[in-house]
Amino acid sequence: MSTTLSPTPVVSNADKPQTVGVTRPVKRGNIVVRWMTSTDHKIVGHLYIITSLVYFLIAGVMALLIRAQLWAPGMQVLQTKEQYNQMFTMHGTIMLLLVATPLFAGLANELIPLQIGSPDVAFPRLNMLSYWMYLFGSIITVGGFLTPQGSASFGWFAYTPLSSQTFSPGLGSNMWVFGLALGGFATILGAVNFITTIITMRAPGMTMFRMSIFTWNILVTSILVILVFPILAAALFALGSDRVFGSHVFDAATGGALLWQHMFWFFGHPEVYILALPFFGVVSEIIPVFSRKPIFGYKTLVYATIAIGALSMTVWAHHMYVTGAVLLPFFALLTMLIAVPTGVKIFNWIGTMFRGSVTFETPMLFALGFVFNFIFGGLTGVILASPPLDFHLSDNYFIVAHFHYVVVGALIFGLFGGLYFWWPKWTGKMMNERLGQIHFWLFFIGFHATFLIQHWLGVVGMPRRYATYLPEDGFTWMNQLSTVGAFIMAISLVPWIINVYITWRFAPKVTVNDPWGSGRSLEWATACPAPRHNFTSIPRIRSESPAFDLNHPELAPTSIGGPRPTKTIVAKGA
Amino acid sequence: MRLNRRLRWAAIPVAVATAIVLAGCTAQELNGYLPGFIQGEPPVTNHTERISALWVTSWIVLFGVGLIAWGLMLWAVAVYRRRRGQTGMPVQLRYNMPIEVFFTIVPLLLIIGFYFFTARDEAVIEQRFDKPDEVIQVYGKQWAWDFNYVNENVYSSGIQVQPDLSPNAEQGAVDQASIPTLYLPVGKQVEIQLNSRDVIHSFWVVDFLYKKDVIPGRTNIMSLIPEREGTYMGKCAELCGEFHSMMLFKVKVVSQAEYDAYTQSLADKGFSGQLDSNYNRNQNLPGVVAPQAATK
Repeated sequence: MSTTLSPTPVVSNADKPQTVGVTRPVKRGNIVVRWMTSTDHKIVGHLYIITSLVYFLIAGVMALLIRAQLWAPGMQVLQTKEQYNQMFTMHGTIMLLLVATPLFAGLANELIPLQIGSPDVAFPRLNMLSYWMYLFGSIITVGGFLTPQGSASFGWFAYTPLSSQTFSPGLGSNMWVFGLALGGFATILGAVNFITTIITMRAPGMTMFRMSIFTWNILVTSILVILVFPILAAALFALGSDRVFGSHVFDAATGGALLWQHMFWFFGHPEVYILALPFFGVVSEIIPVFSRKPIFGYKTLVYATIAIGALSMTVWAHHMYVTGAVLLPFFALLTMLIAVPTGVKIFNWIGTMFRGSVTFETPMLFALGFVFNFIFGGLTGVILASPPLDFHLSDNYFIVAHFHYVVVGALIFGLFGGLYFWWPKWTGKMMNERLGQIHFWLFFIGFHATFLIQHWLGVVGMPRRYATYLPEDGFTWMNQLSTVGAFIMAISLVPWIINVYITWRFAPKVTVNDPWGSGRSLEWATACPAPRHNFTSIPRIRSESPAFDLNHPELAPTSIGGPRPTKTIVAKGA
Repeated sequence: MRLNRRLRWAAIPVAVATAIVLAGCTAQELNGYLPGFIQGEPPVTNHTERISALWVTSWIVLFGVGLIAWGLMLWAVAVYRRRRGQTGMPVQLRYNMPIEVFFTIVPLLLIIGFYFFTARDEAVIEQRFDKPDEVIQVYGKQWAWDFNYVNENVYSSGIQVQPDLSPNAEQGAVDQASIPTLYLPVGKQVEIQLNSRDVIHSFWVVDFLYKKDVIPGRTNIMSLIPEREGTYMGKCAELCGEFHSMMLFKVKVVSQAEYDAYTQSLADKGFSGQLDSNYNRNQNLPGVVAPQAATK
């Protein structure tokens, strides 16, 4: 399968256009047609990432409406509580299933073939089909807003019987159910594609234990996807059948309320790792590059990733401690155990920086922000794993704060880090550093202002999904602080958007393979952006850092393996 | 060892400072900002002190771990930052097995310890009484609560909390009199049976530090002894439709005499008997068997 090794030695010719076949004049219409009909994994990746970023902004506006509504007791900006319920339902649905999950597919598309040295993914047409299924599925889901009763309003986990036809009769709810089912198939097909690509299309020399950590994380994520997304699809189709055809799968009288919860969380808990693992991978790529050292404890990281994936399949009922219907000690123990491999990852990231030579470009800042926030999200996660404490904290703002520390503090920080990091590889232009730093600090401050206080808010008694609260509750100042933080986060996106625009219009073209100067994995051994089939030549792959070995042969591992203990760092004038 | 000896001078001042700081703590601070603790008063229920002890101890240990992790991270980026004018690459260290084993084993031991206390406390909190003094049946319904006092054979039926419409009311204020209220006798073993008439709700008394879901087709149990008289705010904690945020209630913990007077007043007003599952909205759905047929 891997036939990309060029028979003749080819020097890097990144400055020359790498077109294969007919060269057509570049016109806007051509670009649209090319993107719509392309099966190139890089263009599919662009489409995935652009679409999910658009949804990110839409759901971000919903978050601002939610925070504005909670500024003070009473109805502030929304007219009815039903509108509020629709806002948080769609905020959660979009952020988790239409932003973070497709970002997994987007990042994997952009990077997996580049990192394993293959010309494309295993099933390029299926890949494109997955994207279109995601796009139309997501439009159907969000299109509920255009129906008379508005969109779904039963929360993103759609507990029955609230999500049944009786209690949520709107057409928008049907569209939510079937739109997500369609989008779910896109994710399943994408995962099949990535597994096949990673197993069968690695370049010569790219053994499993020489793959980048990001590739490993995508592999584990994809396996989780094909294990649990079919459960979601089954649950959604059964719910749709209950709603549209009057079947009785989730009737309360026959235990349907808990059946839905089990099915949903059996999908839903691995889902949060499906969201998180790719970004663990992103950070594992960024930190070594800016520490100028290989990832510390490569194999422990791989095994930790596999352990997290395996454990995540066994802990779904920790979302159901307060249902009184699950075996608490069993799920508490397994949930707590996840902290061990997660802690291993954190210490490995720190170990990578230890005795390194660390610089603070924007991707590294976001990666450090990721680690910093994720430590706290992990600590509150351990607290929540304990049923006696969860009885109080479940379904209040402590939970909201906890998962936003993970999905915003870690995932979104990882996302921005990844965007800044691979922007030159994807577009051939370096993003502006100064605007990137402003973006980071505003986002970091806004993030902590928004979500740190929510831990207290939950502890003193504010339930989640409350459209309003009472003046005598004493929650007002905490909510106002949180709202101010949310708007700072929103403002922080302005320098980012300006940055994208000025980079696109004015930034000079990147002419080297590795603009960061210490890139490690294979994508830094090809042009920016990569040519149509990715590589004109492939370097020798003798470690997990082939690009680094190529550019710094004196530091490459010996043929026996293991590092050469020579310190080559020199201070100026030394 | 040498480190210990060098730091021994600090032991007494640190201990004194800690003692002074802790002595100045309020009940709220000593209980990790959990609600419901008042200086010099008994805890709200027989479980809250146990929960607060686990909460505080867990946070102390976790913050210790967190400070180590944050400290190592900030130290690594500060000490090993690339200085101006430096060129070249650091040693390409790839792994160090003893350290990796260390930071796998130590968290594992901490987790096992944490699990031990968790399992112990959870078993106590979830333990049902053999013969509870009072049995209360709670029915959650969109968007209020019905309370059946089983031993006294009386009931009170709640309505949705109403907005305060008086002209000088604060924005968002509610009519306090309209909030459904559950009375509990202080110092008695109470079993609360939770049922739902329609969708899933959750019965959360904030100061009890405890909630349990109210699930249609299932009866959940809360077992506790209220230990301090007072009025405590309760909230529905599981999304149940448009007026979820208005599905509030109060719990009044009162002396036995007041409790008897209250239940008698319900009987005097004619609220005798029980509001049972016949009033469930769900039973009219297609395919649902009526309660009588199900029990006989």
